Amino acid sequence: MIPNVAPAPADQAQPTTAADLRKTRRQGAPKKFTGSKLFGSFGSIAGVAWLAVLVAASLTAPLWLPFKTEDQDFTAVLSGPTAAHWLGTDELGRDLLSRIFASAAGTLGTSIITVIVAVGLGTLLAMLAAAAGERVENAVSRVTEIMMSLPGTVIILAVIGAVGTNIPMIMGILGVLISAGIYRVMLGQAKSLQSQLYVDAAKVDGVSTAGISLRHVLPGLTNTIVVQAALIFAVGMLIQAGLAFIGFGPPIPQPSWGGMIQGASQHVYDAPWMMVPTGAGLALTVLSANAIGNALGKAPNATASHLPSAAARRQRAKAVATIASAAPAPVTQDGVAKGTLSVRNLSVGVDSTGAGSGVRLVTDVSFDVEQGTVLGLVGESGCGKTMTALSLLGLLPSGVSVTGGQILWNGRNLAATTDKAMETVRGRDIALISQEPMRALDPMFTVGYQLTATIRRLRGMGKAEAREEARNLLEKVGIVDAARILKTYPHQISGGMAQRVAIALALAGQPKLLVADEPTTALDVTVQAEILSLLRSLVTDTGMSVVMVTHDLGVVADICDQVAVMYAGQVVENGRTDSILDNPRHPYTLALLAADPHANHANDMPERLATIQGQVPQPKDWPTGCRFAARCQFAGSACLEPVPLLPSGAGEGLVRCVKADQLAVEGMDWLATDVPAARALEITPTQNPRSLQTIVEKDLA
Amino acid sequence: MEVTMALFITKRLLMALATVLVVAVLAFLLVHAMPGSPGAVSLGAGASQQAIDEVNQRMGWNDPLPAQFFTWLGSAVQGDLGVSLIDGRSVSADLASRLPVTASLAAGATVLSAVLGIGLGVTAAVRGGVVDRIIGGVAGMAVALPAFWIGIIFVYLLAVQSSVFPATGYVPFESSPQDWALSLALPVITLAVGGGAFIARQTRASMLEALQQEHIRTLRATATPTWKILYVHALRYASLPIVAGIALQFIQLFGGSVIAEQLFAMPGLGQAVQNSVSTHDAPSVQGVVVIATVVVVAVNLVLELATKFLDPKLRAS
Ligand code: SF4
Repeated sequence: MIPNVAPAPADQAQPTTAADLRKTRRQGAPKKFTGSKLFGSFGSIAGVAWLAVLVAASLTAPLWLPFKTEDQDFTAVLSGPTAAHWLGTDELGRDLLSRIFASAAGTLGTSIITVIVAVGLGTLLAMLAAAAGERVENAVSRVTEIMMSLPGTVIILAVIGAVGTNIPMIMGILGVLISAGIYRVMLGQAKSLQSQLYVDAAKVDGVSTAGISLRHVLPGLTNTIVVQAALIFAVGMLIQAGLAFIGFGPPIPQPSWGGMIQGASQHVYDAPWMMVPTGAGLALTVLSANAIGNALGKAPNATASHLPSAAARRQRAKAVATIASAAPAPVTQDGVAKGTLSVRNLSVGVDSTGAGSGVRLVTDVSFDVEQGTVLGLVGESGCGKTMTALSLLGLLPSGVSVTGGQILWNGRNLAATTDKAMETVRGRDIALISQEPMRALDPMFTVGYQLTATIRRLRGMGKAEAREEARNLLEKVGIVDAARILKTYPHQISGGMAQRVAIALALAGQPKLLVADEPTTALDVTVQAEILSLLRSLVTDTGMSVVMVTHDLGVVADICDQVAVMYAGQVVENGRTDSILDNPRHPYTLALLAADPHANHANDMPERLATIQGQVPQPKDWPTGCRFAARCQFAGSACLEPVPLLPSGAGEGLVRCVKADQLAVEGMDWLATDVPAARALEITPTQNPRSLQTIVEKDLA
Repeated sequence: MEVTMALFITKRLLMALATVLVVAVLAFLLVHAMPGSPGAVSLGAGASQQAIDEVNQRMGWNDPLPAQFFTWLGSAVQGDLGVSLIDGRSVSADLASRLPVTASLAAGATVLSAVLGIGLGVTAAVRGGVVDRIIGGVAGMAVALPAFWIGIIFVYLLAVQSSVFPATGYVPFESSPQDWALSLALPVITLAVGGGAFIARQTRASMLEALQQEHIRTLRATATPTWKILYVHALRYASLPIVAGIALQFIQLFGGSVIAEQLFAMPGLGQAVQNSVSTHDAPSVQGVVVIATVVVVAVNLVLELATKFLDPKLRAS
């Protein structure tokens, strides 16, 4: 009856007793309470309304109730709803409506005691533990751990034995028992607030610990406090009613909801109606409190799923069908060379349902990849590179889909291919390796299992044969002690090793095209070089082609044959790697080169590295004119019109800039501005595909 | 690794022991705070003060508290929890006969909750859309409805209206396994409504979180069939919080059984604690509190071992 942990909002997992269960669980940034969410859903509006009506009606009960709670009407014992008794009567002919409303205030009021004690004490302990350091935290956590492993119900009953049915007191002690769970929920948030920069600043300013907790930590906890308060309120109501039901309610003849339901349970046989009004009243009240808690506790922007639900997949299938009917019939003539990828006018956008609906993330992107060549997709974070890359495999996260254009693979339009049919392409024709190898491997299974299962599936091999092939593959990607690695779990190997395993996994189906999404970004510098040279030799040995997503022009110079520079969802310049690196035509390419010490082909290192001021604009803020205009050193009035992608004059290269020719003639440079010379723009990997706009300045060294 | 495992178990056992001891002290103090001395309670109203004093003296009620506690503890570790003040029966024997009732109830309800909850939770996460909303709505209702109210509805529908199940009473397994199952049916279903809803939510949230993990994308990129991604890989990843939720549910149902036992007139621990609290039967109250704590602590211990076994990261370290 009494929960051992704090209740969780409907769409969140329950915090569990085993404290160290999964410490890495995402913790949403604590947020301040805003009332607006309260009115964001029908449920919570109805909940607030019902609670308001109930409280108002109950407090004014003596003024309007047709009967006193103890009035007995012997002409109407155990009656159903009648004109005189709207909700019927009980075994003594007492009016149910009057009793329900008259006892509401007491039930609600005493439940609030539990809320205040539980949430108050839990929050206080959490703030204390967060502020006072590890030793205090450990001590408090130990105590709460013991509290959480107590049989709460039995203890509360023993307390009742000692203090009698003193409801306010019992609800208070109940609050103490529940506070341990609240503490557990609050602690993480309090700690993260305590470690914020402004808290450090306040400490330097000499603000006292208590002052910091009150001024900086507590406000950040308000939303969780309100959520927990609402949910605990519901729990308190249920427990209080439950106690009254088993005979530990307010002293007779005072009415209570639980006691009334208990009375009704005695008359299931002769008056089943009796349990309906009180039960419904209690249920509605609990539902209201839960609805409020759930509405406030709703995670605002759930991370996108990598396997959309069946309903979402159906929706996407419809979108694919639309694209298939809109796109011109694929060119299936023999003229198409095997193993070529040709992306034509690809657009990707946020689906029309949900947050940010209709926002374009990638617009009108075209490029080609010949067999055995490497194409680099270059740009800062938030330029749509990863979305472009994932769409090649049909692996866009939920809520994002291809909205137009073609992805022609051997003449077949993958953008118009169903998810089911894509299963024959993925792994076998096109494979993927991603940025964080550790997270790309399933932590629950051994490397050997993951690899052999994939080989068996993609190559139709038997178990023993697949095992052998797994070892071969690991050796091929440069792992010496393959036999040992096969037996390990992903968390037991290093990042570089994990990336090799991930590459082996990608090679399992002997793909013709490898999509590599920043495959070296998360690795140590020395390991980066090793992985790059591995990829290079794989291209030579197997003849596969690669689409390499990167922000690092050094990687481009190292491995790519062709480059497509992307900015804000568009290709702004493309062409052969050497011509683009030596002779960039687009100011953005120029700026990227100027900002990257490794890519500078000039034999003398510049004294100051240039930076690109500002950030890639958010997709919803893309201008109709040149999207780079806000940051471009050469921007002029002509740049406010839409800019087409035109031949750059260097080979087959294309460039999207009105001043490209002029710049080429004048040979202008991207100027270094007065910012720390050793810093340059580096792109942080985004974990959340929806928050594409994270740019962090980071030392390149 | 063997050594660290042994160390881990020892540490946890000590922690569990400490918890039980803390509760034992707590229970002892609570019981002493109860109104009425043992003599007054056992002799009932109308007994002479002299008789009451005599009983109290014989039971050691006037000894210093620590001495009383250690006397009690000494017999408790030997399995003797004293005698009831009301009927003079051995508390240990009484509780031993009641434990199977509550245990069957809680275990049955947990199993049913787990089956229902995992099924519905996975379905909601996997299907999404309307199905998800319906399951979410039903689960939301189910956690808001008090178990005793749901119980009455079931009694009305399944026992009164259509007498599918007996409305009240408990038949021991030894007498008739079939009747035992039938007598458990209604209380188990009653408790499983809330429990199932709880586990369904837990499962849904954990499954969705599992599907947000990047390795799911790797699995898709290597053409893993959808069913395998969902039911082998995602479910495996979600298994830790789900198992924790189930263990939690067992603990709550074990305590919550007091309501089902009252409603369905079942002679379990819940009924014992309810009776002994009303009659101020101190040794019984103390005994139930300790037994319940031992059960809860044992379940938590099993949960931790299960977690350690399920999580490769913990298993290896
Ligand atoms: S079009 Fe104008 S703003 Fe855009 S890159 Fe060229 S010069 Fe800069």
